[in-house]
Amino acid sequence: MATSAPAARPGGGAGSPPPRRLGGALRNSWRNGDLIRWSGRLGAVIPLLMLGFILITLFVEAIPAIKFNGWNFLTGSAWSFGAGYGQPSTTGGIVHLPGEVFGALPQIIGTLETSVIALIIAVPVSVGAALVIVERLPRRLANVIGTFLEILAGIPSVVIGLWGAVTFGPILAKHVYPFIASHAPDVPVLSFFRGDTGNGQGLLTSGLILAVMVIPIIAATSRDLIRGVPLLPREGAVALGLSDWECARRVTLPWVGAGIVGAAVLGLGRALGETIAVAMVCGVALGQIPTNIYQAMSTIAANIVQNLDTAITGPLGVKTYAELALILMVITLGANVAARLLVRRVSSTALPVGRGL
Amino acid sequence: MANKIRVVCTAAALVPLALLAACGSSGTATTAASPSSAASASPSTGVSLTETGSTLMFPLFGAWQTAYNTDVTDVTITTAGTGSGTGIADAATGITTIGASDAYLSAANVSQYPGLMNIPLTVAALMVNYNLPGVKAPLKLNGSVLAKIYTGKIKTWNDPAIKALNAGVTLPALKITALHRADSSGSTFLITSYLNAQDPADWPTADVNTTVSWPSGAKQAAETGSGGMVTGCQGIKGCIAYIGISYLAKTTAAKLGTASLANKAGKFTQPTSKTINTALAGFSGSTPPNGSQSLINTSVPKGYPIINYEYAVVKKTQSSAAVAAALKAFLKWTINTGSSSTFLAPVGFEALPSNVKTIAENQIASISG
Repeated sequence: MATSAPAARPGGGAGSPPPRRLGGALRNSWRNGDLIRWSGRLGAVIPLLMLGFILITLFVEAIPAIKFNGWNFLTGSAWSFGAGYGQPSTTGGIVHLPGEVFGALPQIIGTLETSVIALIIAVPVSVGAALVIVERLPRRLANVIGTFLEILAGIPSVVIGLWGAVTFGPILAKHVYPFIASHAPDVPVLSFFRGDTGNGQGLLTSGLILAVMVIPIIAATSRDLIRGVPLLPREGAVALGLSDWECARRVTLPWVGAGIVGAAVLGLGRALGETIAVAMVCGVALGQIPTNIYQAMSTIAANIVQNLDTAITGPLGVKTYAELALILMVITLGANVAARLLVRRVSSTALPVGRGL
Repeated sequence: MANKIRVVCTAAALVPLALLAACGSSGTATTAASPSSAASASPSTGVSLTETGSTLMFPLFGAWQTAYNTDVTDVTITTAGTGSGTGIADAATGITTIGASDAYLSAANVSQYPGLMNIPLTVAALMVNYNLPGVKAPLKLNGSVLAKIYTGKIKTWNDPAIKALNAGVTLPALKITALHRADSSGSTFLITSYLNAQDPADWPTADVNTTVSWPSGAKQAAETGSGGMVTGCQGIKGCIAYIGISYLAKTTAAKLGTASLANKAGKFTQPTSKTINTALAGFSGSTPPNGSQSLINTSVPKGYPIINYEYAVVKKTQSSAAVAAALKAFLKWTINTGSSSTFLAPVGFEALPSNVKTIAENQIASISG
């Protein structure tokens, strides 16, 4: 077929221009599937190449910092770009400023803490919202609320950050945090809620802002999952005399359990890497682990975006940020892997009803 | 035939990859090439100069840009406030023609980016502001007290150390909230330089930089940008902040007090045109030919202790003769016409003393294409 096509074309002489032949070739490769096959193969390889490229270049950039910072990078709390106008000195072949020390532990902890706070708030709210939207509300109202959820998911993070820094944080600090702080009992865990409530920039505000950003993601995914639960087992449950909420607890939620874990991980991924909104409300305190939940702190991403300008002027700053970026990638990857294992575990547990339906 | 098709398709598919690679490697090359190619068409027209860097200097550069673009129509100037560090790095890589910086190039900068020079263009100052509604007279503060405030050793306004400096002033028993910049900032560099110069025991040299790890002892808050410092301080009674002199009108409107700061002679001065120039006169005689000099902590009794040269960081060798000529003309204009009070008074900056102006002119003359 490929060879007969040019000859069959009327007027296609020996002097037919190359574009036409290229057009013919394209049409042929489209017909016999070569084009789609090759673009598919290429498409499959590019993400892999990109990931490899990013990892390798980051690693190469970070090597001097990894050598200089050592394990203190993961265990130390002091973070200083050193004396900007000091005479650079050389230790172990690496040029650095006097007093330059990078301990990223507070930021690593901050990244995890803010994300965990966000998930603790977002998961129950989202699943509850999804259940109500699917099972309780009349369809028209559910559609309206669903649309708002999607709009909320599309708000740029800088807008949420601005709102957090200008309105949300200060209001919480003025009216809500002091109330919580004065009523929290002095027992382990809850004593973390006591103490000076600050000015609205800090750990709890960052966690809440992240929750606002994560809720629409988890809620929209959960809603779609819950919608996918077949009617039969639910009707069966109702026929057995279960109330709506019992049905939700015993049939619907177990059915979508693995999916909701997956949705939570989607949200976690966003929370771990969220940069600008957190940078605007976290207070960017680099060298300290918060001793109460209101205190200023920093996450890896917020530190990088706020202080890159200083890092550029030092001999080790950018290299250290490359190392920090690697850590963030490892954390995100770790969260993903853990979630996959969890999903496997959740989905392999016996469901009370209807798995084989 | 099938092989041919395969070759064609692969080639077509490789085009985006090649483009990607080109983008990755030659970002600077294209920006450097465009002014020179424009210049080769007609030597003196269509040159564009770009400026990035110091946000403290950004308002002045904006005014300069407007005026210069009206005066000289064949040269376009664009400016952006990105932070001094970015300005220096951009100038070094050739992304921008002028990097504006609040501080001269450090030893680390010089070894990292050889071929750069810093030309002093104007003189700025840094204020220490506070929000204490009852207190009318300007408070007197020194570097030691400020260092102790920022490290959390002094926690309230009626602390004996502050009282000792301000005899006769009734100070409230208000908690001090120490504001600092959340982003990298030349202002942070200036205030930490002052703290270190006045009290190296409480503020070590290692904590002098555009970003520092603020001690956790103090009740503190972080604000982004000088504007953020003004509104932040306005909102917190008992706060203290450090803000560039170009925000004087805004701090006054926000009813923030401006502290009188101690200089090396132990005298307290307000940041005014007079005290800034007095302090400047004490330093300018010893400004080296490369313009790099710290103007912190003057020993002249009537001088204000936190002032600095604002620098244009440029490459000694520009991408073409036309760019070099346009750059030299513009820089010369900034220290002459651009340093009249029309431009400097609104931002509270001061013009260079005549001998430093000569140093700057010599530096400008040494730029080549």
